[in-house]
This record gives sequence, structure tokens and C-alpha cells, in this order.
Amino acid sequence: MTAAVAAGLPGRLGRVDLSRPVVLLLAAVLCLLIVLPVSWLVYFAFTDRDGLPTFANFAPLFSDPAYTEPMITTLVISVSVGLACAAVAAPMGWLVARTDVPFARTIRSLIMASFVTPPFLGAIAWEILAAPNSGMLNQWYRELTGAPPDQHLFNIYSLTGVIFVIACYTFPYVFVLVANALERIPGELEDASSILGGRAWHTARRITVPLALPALLAGCLVAFLQAMTLFGSPAILALPAGFHTMTTKIWSLFQYPPKPGLAAACSLPLLLLTVVLLRAQHMILGRRSYQVIGGKSGAPRVIRLGPWRWLALAVCLIVLLNPVFLPYLGLVKAAFTHVFSQPLTLKNLTLEHVDFVFFEFSSTRLALKNTFLLGILAATLGSGLALVIAYATARRVVAGYRVLDFFATAPVAIPAIVLGVGLFLAYTRPPFVLYGTLSILLIAFVTIQLPAAYQQLQSAFRAVNPELEEASRILGATRLQALRHITAPLLRSGVIAAWCFIFIGTIRELSAAIMLFTADTKVISVVIFDLNENGHLGPISVLGILMLVITFAVVTLANRLHGSGAWRGQRVTG
Amino acid sequence: MARVALRNLVKRYGDLAVVDRISLDIDHGQLVCLLGPSGCGKTTTLRLIAGFIEPTEGEIQVGERVVSSPARAIEPQLRNMSMIFQSYALWPHMTVMENVAYGLRLRKLDRDVIRDKVRAILNMTKLAEFEDRYPADLSGGQQQRVALARALVVEPETLLLDEPLSNLDANLREEMRFEVRRLHDQYRYTTVYVTHDQAEAMTAADRIVVMNKGRIEQTGTPEEIYRRPRSEFVARFIGGANILRGPSLDARHMRFSGVVLRCGDAEIALNGHAALSIRHHDIRLLGAPPSSAENVVPAKVARQVFLGGMRDYLVETHDGTQLRVVTSAEHSFAPGSAVWLHLPPESCRALVS
Ligand SMILES: Nc1ncnc2c1ncn2[C@@H]1O[C@H](COP(=O)(O)OP(=O)(O)O)[C@@H](O)[C@H]1O
Ligand SMILES: [Mg+2]
Repeated sequence: MTAAVAAGLPGRLGRVDLSRPVVLLLAAVLCLLIVLPVSWLVYFAFTDRDGLPTFANFAPLFSDPAYTEPMITTLVISVSVGLACAAVAAPMGWLVARTDVPFARTIRSLIMASFVTPPFLGAIAWEILAAPNSGMLNQWYRELTGAPPDQHLFNIYSLTGVIFVIACYTFPYVFVLVANALERIPGELEDASSILGGRAWHTARRITVPLALPALLAGCLVAFLQAMTLFGSPAILALPAGFHTMTTKIWSLFQYPPKPGLAAACSLPLLLLTVVLLRAQHMILGRRSYQVIGGKSGAPRVIRLGPWRWLALAVCLIVLLNPVFLPYLGLVKAAFTHVFSQPLTLKNLTLEHVDFVFFEFSSTRLALKNTFLLGILAATLGSGLALVIAYATARRVVAGYRVLDFFATAPVAIPAIVLGVGLFLAYTRPPFVLYGTLSILLIAFVTIQLPAAYQQLQSAFRAVNPELEEASRILGATRLQALRHITAPLLRSGVIAAWCFIFIGTIRELSAAIMLFTADTKVISVVIFDLNENGHLGPISVLGILMLVITFAVVTLANRLHGSGAWRGQRVTG
Repeated sequence: MARVALRNLVKRYGDLAVVDRISLDIDHGQLVCLLGPSGCGKTTTLRLIAGFIEPTEGEIQVGERVVSSPARAIEPQLRNMSMIFQSYALWPHMTVMENVAYGLRLRKLDRDVIRDKVRAILNMTKLAEFEDRYPADLSGGQQQRVALARALVVEPETLLLDEPLSNLDANLREEMRFEVRRLHDQYRYTTVYVTHDQAEAMTAADRIVVMNKGRIEQTGTPEEIYRRPRSEFVARFIGGANILRGPSLDARHMRFSGVVLRCGDAEIALNGHAALSIRHHDIRLLGAPPSSAENVVPAKVARQVFLGGMRDYLVETHDGTQLRVVTSAEHSFAPGSAVWLHLPPESCRALVS
């Protein structure tokens, strides 16, 4: 009887044996991406020039004003940004999610636009708008009031300016969390309170606010973290104003003569604080942060604002002036005029910046090539890596899947600039000398983008019940056929979306790139940063608009693909 | 031909034996129900038969060939089986028609043959008008029928069903119980049907296998299982029963609440402790001691509920045991009144403890 089987039908040979090496390989790759740079970072922080253990690197952090002041500045900026974001995003989230404010979808799209605008580009746009002398807003102010040329209304090169600009591009994080939380509150809960005699305000205070508060708090933490770890905006706005934040300080420690030990010591607090705050955020949100939005609960009740809704719309639009309308206007004007601070006349119009960017300035084409190459490679490698890890963890195909999960999520807690420092330290010496190559940038980008892609694909896998594959197997499909007919089509939109988001994230990345580029491996963001140091705002605007157009195109594509698919419910279960 | 045999089947996850030495023969064309509480290993057993997982010990034989053993397992697609999943596992990116035709396409049948077969099965499951819909646009009952059609259209040797009705609402579930049985009578596939619902098992099964904690408690026809439960678990799980405990006297007698009880059929274990089961409505409730005192236990009414057609009593014997008794609605005994319980020996089943 057994012989009949042995005679030829394929058994399970090979399958189990293959998964183990694959997982080991993955684990090794993830180690190279994450463990190696972090280890070197720690090593450098705790050793002196001769490699002897020491705490001396940390001493200036507590005593030298050159370090304590940036730390305090960073704290002030981060706290202010967190509060400002909450103050703006919470009411807006409520308006969009729970009231009949007109054009809610458009408002959401505009907030998405500020979400995907590279923060450093926003900072430069605000230089165009609100630099004390040349800033467009200040020009208008002087024209309107006849104020003397040395007077200005706004000065973006200031602590307030830095806080304002960072908040402009950070509040979407808070908005998304709050709006989603408010949308998830089932209307029945609030109805229940109203039926029990609760007045509108009472219901809001006792039901709505407590349910949305964790999301708001978590959002504030995210905003705080963003502000703390951002490099571009403070580098562009704070350095001209003559002060440092932690990130710009770390960067300056790599200017000649480099002080890697100190830089590592400055990086560790950022790393630790990020880990702690992310833990806190996780605890506040619980498992909900991973939950796919939606579900069966009743639709949230829409509150009718009556005529007030037009006022609400006006408030939203005025808020959106700051991250979207004004900066984009500034960029467009700067891109196509000789002198952006002069009035818009026919004589002032020009294509010289376009010409300069694409034909005269040699760096741009190389940088464009590098950026696209890195974007495509990082997106492909990153989504591939994320796909395999997500498969291994979602289907628990191996015993060690928890380790993979940990490593794939861990980069979330490593600020990009810190990762940049770590990678610099790890790959400028044997056995892996990658500094000066595109590979080191590729490693940085893949690592930075991995967690988001991994989470997206993992939830995509979770939405595909394994029984869907099994149903195909039992009807006669081989393992590969089941993957091809069932799993692949169901995951396709998720994979494409992950690819797109890695691509966008990569082409706009500055914080890590600034630590790792060399003359041959510049990317657009670095070129923009360089041009800014030389005051070439026109060419920057051309590059910035190009970047925005590409970003919007890719986001639209991703959304279109993600939202389509002939079927409506991803999950068909009872 | 498709006789399915499980021999000493064991599946362990770590130290936990989720399926623990299960042996079972399923004759060709028989419908066997695996019945047991949630978590007792029914799905795991079914997945072992389907070949999605491999046994830790033992083997599974279909017809003449061994399809699963720890050393070797034939892949699911080569077993000529169909399965209906608890989640239905309909593919959301395919229409009803495509879902149903999938298995036939894999078999590389003629396009016309496929179309005819799909039409026929869709008509039979009353789905013809929905063939171009996507599963997400169907009701639960319709989804369930698509799953059924998809499994049946390939004419499998063996059909596996994992709680196929558990996601339906009560009315539909009752209706579908008979439908499942009707389809089985029509096609006569060897069928393993997993459920935790005894009414479902009673309606559908030729033979019921009661499972508990990974093991088989008892196997038999629905009637045997109901009339002659062999263990306390089966007695309680199927239909509900009172369990009486006391010292055993000999192979037919035990002492309970100061009275000697005679037990109609099976042997009472002679290890000192005996247990017997009696159904709630097999106990007769009397207002005065009867002339023949055999198997009569005095008790007191603790609670009485009038259920229209009958009365549901909770009574307490002198040793403090509480028993449920269901009687006709005619006689009413108020709570607190003294009653005599007559336990007919032929209704008392000795249990293997
Ligand atoms: N892959 C697995 N790993 C570990 N334990 C499992 C696995 N699959 C099932 N179990 C355990 O086996 C037990 C029986 O599961 P299952 O066969 O699904 O029960 P049933 O279908 O009877 O409700 C459960 O306690 C479950 O937790
Ligand atoms: Mg089950």
C-alpha cells in the first residue's frame, strides 16, 4: 500500500528544508541593515580615538553650551510643534470626519498634499515667502503699508519660524490619526448617550472626546518625534538665524574636522527617546494602530453645522494656506521669474531657471539619474524584502518569524539622521567599504522605508485568509498555482502601493542622504540643499515643482490602483 | 472505493496533542460527523485528512493508498477531495461563475463541458441568476451555496465540510441542515462533516463521532449516541442528562442517595465508584411513594418552570444532588413539596468513567 505512494506522487520533499536557509538569509540581511550601524554607533559613542572605552564623549552634552543649547532648542521646538499640531489638527479632524463641512474630500486631499510635500521644500518655500528682506509676504506688506525697506512683518529665520514651518508639514500625522479615530466611533455609542438625555455638549465631552483622546495624544507624540528628528527644515531656517538643533549639530560634527565619537554620543539620546516615545504611543493606541480602518460598526453620525459650515470651510482653507497654497504659489513664482520678490510682469517672467537646472548645471542630471535609480531600486528591493518577511510572519511559516518581525519594524525607531551616522561609521571601514557608492544610500533608503512597507504588506497578507489558498489547493492547484491564481492577484494592489510609497519616500529623503552623499552620489534633495546654501532659490523651485509633480503622480497612481479592483470587499468571510 | 481510514492519528503542536490517537473508518458513501466542542481538534483532523498539515504519528488511508504519514504526505491537490471552509474561502476577485469553474479549469476540461457543468450546479444550488456577481455582493446564505457548488462541481471522491452552517442565521441553518443531507443522498460522496452543533449532526449524519480534547469519546449512529452515551461527556454534550454518582455494588447495581439503583444495560465499573446517566424527561415525577419501590429516590422540588407543553423541574435529593426533570404539563408540584423520582432501569445508562 505504501509502495503505491512511493511509486511516484510528489510528497512534501524540499519545501520545509528550503524555508530555513531563506529565513537565515533574511535575518542576516536585516542584521546588516540595522544591527551593524547601530552597533557601530554605540561603539563610537563609548570609545575614544584609540578605541578605549570612555564616557568622555557624553560630557559636553551636559556641560558645553554648544551642545546643551541645541538640546534645549530641540525640546522647545518639539513640544511647540506637538502642541501646535494638536491645536490645528484636532478641530480640523473633527470638522472633516464628523460634520457636513463642504468639500471634505478636497480638504483631505489638500492635507494629503502637505503630507507628501518634502518638509525641506516647504522650508525653502517659506524662505521665498517670509525671508525678512526678499520674502514675498514682506514685500506685499511694505507695498501695502508703505513701510520702510528695512521693516518686515515676518522673519522665517527664527525659532518661531522653524516651529511654524515644521508644524505645517507635521500636522497631517495628527490629523489622520484623529480623523480616523473619530470615524471609528460608532454612531450608536453617541446615540446611546443622546437617548439617555445627554445634551450635544455632554455627549461630546463624555463619549466623543475620551474616545478620540488617545489618538490625539499618540498624534502629538508622533509630531514631537518628527520635529525632534527632522534635519532639513532646521538646517535651512535655524542655521541662518544662528542657532542649532540636535540634528543640525550632529551634521555639523561631520564637517571638517569630523568628530564621529561626539556625533555618535549626540545621536544616542535621539535614538533612545524615539524608542521610548514609540513604546508610549504603542501603549496609548494599543492594537488599534495596526487595525485596518473600517469594519462593521455603524457609520458615525454627521453633525449638521447649518450656515456655520461655510465658516468652517473658510477656517480649513485659511489653515491650508500655510502648508499648501502659499508655498506652492511661492515656488511657482520663484521658478518662473528673474527675481521672485519683484512684481509679476511680463519682463520678470523667464525660463532661465529651467534652463539652468536641466542644461547648465551639471549636478542636476547626475542627481536626477541617481535619485530615480535609487528610488526604483529601493522600492523594488524594499517591497520585495517586505513581501517575503510579511509572508513569513503572517503565515508563520517558520519558527523564527518573531525575530523577523522585530527587525523589520525596528527601523521605525531609528531617526534617519541617526541611521545616517550609523551607516557612515559602519561602512567607511573594512569589511564593508561602501562609503562613496550608491549602495550605502540604497541601504539607508531601504532600511528607512522597510517598516512602513512591511506593515502595509503584512496587513495585506492578513486580509488574505490562508483558507483562500487552501481552497484552491484542495480543488487541484499546486502551491505555485495557488500563489499565482489567488494570493498574487489579491496582494497586487498592496504591493504596488508599497512600491509607490517607498519610491516617494526615497526621492524626498534628505536626513540620511546628507550624511552619506559624495560628489558622485548626490541626489536631488542634496542638490536642493546645496543650492539653498548658495541662495539659488529659482532653480530649487524648478526642482521642487518637478519633485512635487512626480510625487503627486505616483500617489494618485497608487490610490487609483489601491481603490480599484473589481471586487469591493477585500475580505469575504461570514 | 473512497473508503477513508484514520489509523492512530496524532498531531502535536509543541507538547500539546491537538489530535490524540484517532482511529476511524469511513465507508464509501457514508456521511460521518465529527462532533465536539470548540477547540477539541475537529478542524485539525479535517485539515489532516485534506493534507494541509502532516500527522505527527499515524497514517491516513484513502482507498488503497496511504495519503498521509509522518514520513510522507501526498499534497492536497492530488487527493481528489473537496472542502468547504468555515469562512467559505470564496475568492473575492472572481465572480460566482469563476469561483465555481476554477476546479474544472484546473482539470483542463473542455470549455463547453465546464460551462455545462457549472450551469447545472448553479441551477441546482439556485445561484444561476448570480453567476456574474462577486462574492462580496452576496448574502451569507448565497455565499454558502457558492462554496457548496464550488466543492461539488469537481465531483470529488471525498467531501470535507468544516462547520459549513455556523455563519448562517438560525432559520437558514435549520433549512440547510436538511439540504446538506439531501445533497448527500443525491451524490453519495464519502463525507466528513465537522460541527459543534448536535442538531446539525443528528440531522445530517449516518454516523457521529463525538470528540473531546483531541480524542474520540464515542462513535455510533445518532440514535446510539443519544440512547446509549458511554461517557459523562457524551451524555452531557448530546441532549443533556443527569449524572448520578455513588458507590458501585455489583455489575448492575449502585447506591445513590441512600437508595439502590438498578441499571438496565451496561456493566457498572467495579472499581468502587459508579456513574450513570439518565435523560431529563426519562425521570418520572410522583407525588406519593409508589407501591413498587425499585429505583425510586425521594427528593424535594427546588424550582419549577412552566414551558407551555411541559414543565421543567429542578429537584434535590437527600444527599444534595440536583437533578433536572422534564415532565408533561399536567401535574404541578410546588417548590418545596416532597416528590418521588422513578428512574426506570432501562433508561439508566452506566458510564465508563
Ligand atoms: N497551528 C497551530 N499551532 C498551535 N496550536 C494549534 C494550531 N492549530 C490549532 N491549534 C490548537 O489546537 C486546538 C484545536 O483546534 P481546532 O482543530 O481548530 O479545534 P476545533 O475545530 O475543534 O474548534 C486548539 O486549542 C488550537 O488552539
Ligand atoms: Mg474548527
